[in-house]
Amino acid sequence: MTDCGCDKAKAELEEFLHHELRAPDAADVAEHLANCVDCTHEHAVGVVLTAAVKRACSETAPEELRAEVLLKIRELRAAM
Amino acid sequence: MAPAALMDSVLARLDWAPMSDTPGVPDADLEADIEADLRVAAAPVGADELRSLFEQQALPFMDQLYAAAMRMTRNPADASDLVQETYVKAFQAFRQFQQGTNLKAWLYRIQTNTFINSYRKNQRNPYQGTIDDLEDWQLGGAESVTQHTSTRSAEAEAIDHLPDSAVKDALQSIPEDFRLAVYFADVEGFSYQEIADIMKTPVGTVMSRLHRGRRLLRERLADYAAERGIAVPPPRTRSKG
Repeated sequence: MTDCGCDKAKAELEEFLHHELRAPDAADVAEHLANCVDCTHEHAVGVVLTAAVKRACSETAPEELRAEVLLKIRELRAAM
Repeated sequence: MAPAALMDSVLARLDWAPMSDTPGVPDADLEADIEADLRVAAAPVGADELRSLFEQQALPFMDQLYAAAMRMTRNPADASDLVQETYVKAFQAFRQFQQGTNLKAWLYRIQTNTFINSYRKNQRNPYQGTIDDLEDWQLGGAESVTQHTSTRSAEAEAIDHLPDSAVKDALQSIPEDFRLAVYFADVEGFSYQEIADIMKTPVGTVMSRLHRGRRLLRERLADYAAERGIAVPPPRTRSKG
């Protein structure tokens, strides 16, 4: 077996996931993913991890905070 | 004057570019706006106009800033205080904000700064300031993980089914600078350069924090899943496939 490019792909998967690679490099990684089950699974873990973090971190600011901030801004404006 | 036109005239007087073009505005209206702008062009921007611009542009980010503040301070009372302080500082500095640049990143920069300067000082964290220099084993992490394909697809499956509380706990358990880098990249979708600006650190450090943070997170989540009998092999299994 010759090197299928896994090392390079694995090293760049995180940047690939975050859209930080330049187009030619991203295309190389995408091409490798299309041909490599192992790296595709690794990439899937990264994608799922990002989605899980995003989902878990969603919050709504308390109404009191919204009211306090508005009040503060109006007080500051009055003092201008 | 209609609110949109008022906003445009405020922007014009500040010599700011509008955030975006309003599509479908008839030419006649546009010319009327321009005339209105010219009539008021000599007047300085009033405090009321600045306030209404700030409220319109900055307040919609409150949920996001609050969510970030929760990850920073770890409790609702401190998170609320931090967000309020952030908005006060942002409003006081709003004349200096360059319209057309990234307001969300600007607000996050203020909040992160405020957090580091006033809140972090009060927290006892033996690693603070040196976290980037620590070796992985000192963080309780493993060396690079090599697993069989089948175990990785099980891992993705398990992470996908973990409750939000488990993910939050895992996030809170990793070092703060790593946690924030992960938050900024994965929740907010900031670019590495934007994160570098917000955290005032080189891009290389951002990448390292992200990589280590995500790896630790992944290990903690695998531990959590394993403890609850969710079918994931131990994260530190090193079997060459």
